[in-house]
Amino acid sequence: MAAKKLRRAQLSQEMCERLSRYQITTCQDFLCLSLLELMKLTGQSYYEVQKLLCKVSRACAPKMQTAYEMKLRKSVNPSSAFLSTTLHSLDRVLHGGVPCGSLTEITSPPGCGKTQFCIMLSVLATLPVSMGGLDGAVIYIDTESAFSAERLIEIAANRFPDYFDSDEKLLCMTRSIHLYRELTCCCVLKRIMSLEEEIILKKVKLIIIDSVASVVRKEFDTKLQGNLAERSNFLSRGASVLKYLAEEFSIPVILTNQITTSLSSGPGIQADLVSPADDLSLSEGTCASG
Amino acid sequence: MQREVGTLPLAPALRARLAAAGFQTAQELLDTGPCGLSKEIGISREEALEALQVVRQECHGDAARTAGGSGATRKCTALELLEEEQTQGFIITFCSALDNILGGGVQLTKITEICGAPGVGKTQLCMQLAVDVQIPECFGGVAGEAVFIDTEGSFMVDRVVDIAAACVQHCHLIAEAQQEEDLRKALETFSLENILSHIYYFRCRDYTELLAQVYLLPEFLAEHSKVRLVVIDGIAFPFRHDFEDLSLRTRLLNGLAQQLIIIANDHKSAVVLTNQMTTRIGQSQSTLVPALGESWGHAATVRLILHWDNSQRLATLYKSPSQKESTIAYHITSHGFRDVQPPAVTHSTEGPELNPRKRPRTEEEKQ
Repeated sequence: MAAKKLRRAQLSQEMCERLSRYQITTCQDFLCLSLLELMKLTGQSYYEVQKLLCKVSRACAPKMQTAYEMKLRKSVNPSSAFLSTTLHSLDRVLHGGVPCGSLTEITSPPGCGKTQFCIMLSVLATLPVSMGGLDGAVIYIDTESAFSAERLIEIAANRFPDYFDSDEKLLCMTRSIHLYRELTCCCVLKRIMSLEEEIILKKVKLIIIDSVASVVRKEFDTKLQGNLAERSNFLSRGASVLKYLAEEFSIPVILTNQITTSLSSGPGIQADLVSPADDLSLSEGTCASG
Repeated sequence: MQREVGTLPLAPALRARLAAAGFQTAQELLDTGPCGLSKEIGISREEALEALQVVRQECHGDAARTAGGSGATRKCTALELLEEEQTQGFIITFCSALDNILGGGVQLTKITEICGAPGVGKTQLCMQLAVDVQIPECFGGVAGEAVFIDTEGSFMVDRVVDIAAACVQHCHLIAEAQQEEDLRKALETFSLENILSHIYYFRCRDYTELLAQVYLLPEFLAEHSKVRLVVIDGIAFPFRHDFEDLSLRTRLLNGLAQQLIIIANDHKSAVVLTNQMTTRIGQSQSTLVPALGESWGHAATVRLILHWDNSQRLATLYKSPSQKESTIAYHITSHGFRDVQPPAVTHSTEGPELNPRKRPRTEEEKQ
């Protein structure tokens, strides 16, 4: 929306040409200027400039919906609102399972089972809707090279022996899990940016990134000057693209994080404030517990 | 009338021509008339007429301001302000300790900022307020509607349904306990569907959409005049990344703050913003401070910081022009934002509620 060209905001042709002489071509550039600057650049009076601002704002502003409409839309299709984890107590605490349309973060000390959990969720996502799955493909971005295909098949065969009764079914399932090995922050970000087309092409219903923390901690040493800002920049950009994807396609996105020790006077261990995803955090329990 | 031509809101090219022709004050322009003006400067008669209309409008606005005239002026005595403040409503938060330190609740016509680390309850409080602003006046609310601008995507409709259901049930209990006709009548319109239909939700993905939405907000509020609360959940999120030019960021944030102050005053609504925390690396230690820098700290009138102390959630009133700095504990239950212990059944006979329409709140035992 920010990069929308002024031409498409229904400004007149000559106005667009005049503004492009000052390198103002997108709605973002237009809205970042103050009223006096706009008066100077467009050569219009104060009231005219305010009308232009309203026109451009109308082109980029989001649509209004009431909370009631949102609720109706959700209740029309209740099964697609969550991906059940098949662990009953966890599903109860989460009010149904991993929610579709938002980011979920899984945090733990090493060896607790984050990658195993992710592998299990990948299997669940490929199951048909009647069995509680999402009947779609999975994109798995692996930064630690911890994904094991044999373990995937072992989980599938042992957990759902009636469904995966033949090798065909197992191979079919593995074909719908798309694994990407990215080892640097730059590659991870590039991969996240390119996900939109992949999701449409391969009918993806779950995105897993395992793990965000490992690439970030490898590359950004927070003791060095300026690294903290760059790190937040990278994380915020990744997070906003992932949120957009999760909401646009109504699919769950799962991120894993690591634990660090915070050296304050408080209790020793807390999750590294690496991921700015402000949504559900499985490590601390949700506030909406029944 | 003696206003200089250079200060009038005309197009810059026109102003340059007027200055070159020797015009100095607005009175000279008005005396010349449209035909004379068009001949002297070399513009068409229609353009001259338009310019003169702008000048006349400006001068009338000036005159009204100096004579202390219409209600659009922002001048009044402190006594008038006192009367206004005493009859003004507050938006309660259902946590009486928090309401107490805020002086009754979230104030209308002021900007309140809620800062906190992720997961501490900022969005929960915003959703609670979006429901509480709709409480009918006979129950002590302001009977308004809410605009929710979401930049982080953390608005969960199911959670709002839970909070609204608990609020409706609470009001039903009060109505039964007090057995009054107008309470029961008010409850007929205070239902779950109504509450949800009066929360207007906008999802802004980046700062451009946020700026555009705030520009369009006065128009929206003029159409929906019952709105009494504007929530921007996550003012920091779109401004924290992708900004190399920090001075542009400061300028945009200041512009936003000014527009929000105007909106809060003109439409008599409360503006609630949520902010993130950032780490400030000091000499020997690092502290958590609200994000967006020092200059943003001046934008909000009231600042509330939510934080943890072991496993207890605390709220600190950090900045307020009328209440003193204090810290209270709160809980987030399945019904929403609540006190830590159920308060005893009290009737508050004194306090800032001098409005006879406002009933004292009675809390029943929590289960």
